[in-house]
Amino acid sequence: MIEIIAHNLAPIMFISVMAMLLIGYPVAFTLAAGGLIFFVIGVELSNYSSEIRLFYPLIQSLGNRTFDIMRNDTLLAIPFFTFMGLVLERSRMAEDLLETIGQLFGPLRGGLAFAVIIVGGLLGATTGVVAASVIAMGLISLPIMMRYGYDRSVATGTIAASGTLAQIVPPSLVLIVMSDQLGRSVGDMYVGALLPALMIMGMYCLYIFGLTLVSPKKVPALPIEARTLGGGVTSLLVVIAIAVGIHFALYEIVFSDLRYETRFVWSATIATALALGFSLINRQFKLGIISRLAEQVVIVLIPPLALIFLVLGTIFLGIATPTEGGAMGATGALVLALFKRRLTITTLKEALDSTTKLTAFVMFILIGARVFGLTFYGINGHIWIEELLLALPGGETGFLVVVTVIVFVLGCFLDFFEIAFIVVPLLVGPAESLGIDLIWLGIVLGINLQTSFLTPPFGFALFYLRSISPKNDWDDEVTGERIEGIKTTQIYKGVLPYIAIQFIAIMLVIFYPRLVTHYKDDVVQFNIDEVEIQLPGLGGGLGGQENGGGLPGLGGNGPPGLGLPNQNGGGLSLPGGLNLNNSGPAGLPNQGASGSNESQSNGGGLGLPGALNLNDQPLNLGNEPPNTDP
Amino acid sequence: MEKSHNLKGRNMSALLRLSSAIDAVTAFIGRSVSWLILVAVLVSAGNAIIRKAFDISSNAWLELQWYLYGAVFLLAAAYTLQKNEHVRIDIVTSGFKKITRDWIDLLGHIFFLMPFCLLMVYLGWPFFINSFNNGEISLNAGGLVIWPAKLLILCCFILLTAQAISEIIKRIAVIKGIIDDPTQQHELPPAVEEFESAADIEDRMANK
Repeated sequence: MIEIIAHNLAPIMFISVMAMLLIGYPVAFTLAAGGLIFFVIGVELSNYSSEIRLFYPLIQSLGNRTFDIMRNDTLLAIPFFTFMGLVLERSRMAEDLLETIGQLFGPLRGGLAFAVIIVGGLLGATTGVVAASVIAMGLISLPIMMRYGYDRSVATGTIAASGTLAQIVPPSLVLIVMSDQLGRSVGDMYVGALLPALMIMGMYCLYIFGLTLVSPKKVPALPIEARTLGGGVTSLLVVIAIAVGIHFALYEIVFSDLRYETRFVWSATIATALALGFSLINRQFKLGIISRLAEQVVIVLIPPLALIFLVLGTIFLGIATPTEGGAMGATGALVLALFKRRLTITTLKEALDSTTKLTAFVMFILIGARVFGLTFYGINGHIWIEELLLALPGGETGFLVVVTVIVFVLGCFLDFFEIAFIVVPLLVGPAESLGIDLIWLGIVLGINLQTSFLTPPFGFALFYLRSISPKNDWDDEVTGERIEGIKTTQIYKGVLPYIAIQFIAIMLVIFYPRLVTHYKDDVVQFNIDEVEIQLPGLGGGLGGQENGGGLPGLGGNGPPGLGLPNQNGGGLSLPGGLNLNNSGPAGLPNQGASGSNESQSNGGGLGLPGALNLNDQPLNLGNEPPNTDP
Repeated sequence: MEKSHNLKGRNMSALLRLSSAIDAVTAFIGRSVSWLILVAVLVSAGNAIIRKAFDISSNAWLELQWYLYGAVFLLAAAYTLQKNEHVRIDIVTSGFKKITRDWIDLLGHIFFLMPFCLLMVYLGWPFFINSFNNGEISLNAGGLVIWPAKLLILCCFILLTAQAISEIIKRIAVIKGIIDDPTQQHELPPAVEEFESAADIEDRMANK
């Protein structure tokens, strides 16, 4: 009897701890307690089974395990991005964006829905907080959509789904936590997520476009009297064209002797600043050179775009690590809120207080999961899981499909942090033995978790939307008409098409891994035209670029063909550092900028204190400089 | 008989005073450390900019960031527990009666939380004192002294133990009907509520 228990301790432990979680006591402490209980059982039974490798002194490693969590540089991004989201939320950036973009697209059929999707993507790329997006869009766009006769389900579904984009559009917390648990670089995860995220947004838009053809009554255009900003798209296009022109002129002529990143940053900054300055002057002195619409769009769009650049741009250009990107974004958000006079001491205190409590519970789930992990790995639980998953038919695809189903089901009642900390580490082993790219796996899981925000009855996005959309009938303030309240079933019905879209997206990513795995392409000497082909080119046709530089990627993480694998052979001396291939900063200018490589090894690398696997890799995605022949 | 009842009552009110003292201390610490997030943000952003602009960097600045963040989540854990914001999976139990959930909490505090906290305090002391006695310094060039970080872990679990005691006292008093439940109840998951309160919905609704 005891032998049977000893040999099957891993499944027994897994099921018991899952059952303990359902008691409803805080997850963090339940996991820790479950780990400790089974640690004692494991040690007592260790004589009966050779699979149990536990002994009492092992418990002392808990101190170090907690310490390792503490000095994990990647997870430091969690408070930064949370804080940034909360501050931006208060700065009401979402409101301004929705109103303006709504005006821009309003005259089109389905325009308001397109605006919601685009703003959802923009907010995702800045605040990265689902609640913030859904709440803002629900408060601003929903009443307008109702006023002008949108179908309730379409409107609510679009808002909830667009809000969840924050989970998959970089810099989302899901991607950060996922890359930490998978032991991959956050930067790679971001690059890998870009195309799938854009693809999902495109699919949402396609769905709305389909609706405009099939049942245009559900998605009417704004009537003329509601187009408060008037027309004037042409002058907007002209402003954009001039700004882009200035950028390239500066880039090629004025700053041509600077280093690639610096060159790009300066010319882009000056060009946008000019556009913004011009619009502000135009407004201030009522010059009327550009239309009001163009003026408003430029003024409203530039702050979020600048923030996106501050966060993602600096990460992709290799100027900052993802953690620093988060800090820069948070600083930017503070500055923005200050300018908009939305930052008071109370707001700041509340944002800090919320960030503190959120991060405390997230980090404690991780601490609990590490205690659980100590025992579970000690009784070879990971091998049990691995055998279970490897026995699945269908190889890579079979594995990913089953994992998708499991995570989807778990996602219906678990928080994404719990899934990330408990389930994801268990998938690493099997995925690696199947030769699955972990970034690819991470993105598949990310889209999955995004979907779990949408699935009734526990989808968070639905909670948020329900809590702010009126249940009772209300009188519209503009038209004075009586508008019916929104029923929960209408929200549920509205998200169904989007859940279907999510499933298609997951399947696409599973069957066309190129959508994600382009992140490890070596940097080849492409000129700008090729880069532009690469972005839409999903899959195929790009094989030629792999290993183009003739440099074998070091185990898939190799530095993109720079010929300078700056391994700071410090892997050993760094405390606890497992795998520190800090290959310097990102995507250095592959040409022209010779001599810019010195000192770079300090860029992303030097100090990253011994977290697990800090391959802060360079990311090159379409940001290459145009191929200037020396 | 009556005397012993009185005595019990007096004991209970002494315990409740202890509990509110603990709550006050952990809340004060939790609120205070939250400012360190702001400091960490500025240090991190400043460090990135300075490194890029002047090519100067120091591991001390990088390490300072996780010191600060560590201080925040470790020292605020007790405060978070007091605010009942450690996330639970309550799909099964949310339908239970209040008294059942109170008992689950009480037993959870005693059998899940307390042993874990006490073990971590027991392990945390030698972990810290060894580092302190050896004057352990980070192996990164220019790194910081390590023992304060390890001290933070010890403090974290001491605070958490104290908070657990306070929670046990409050839960017993609630079950006995001596006090009304002082703990925040969350209809929605804490993360949801946290963002909602941050979104100041009422204010926005009023503005419209």
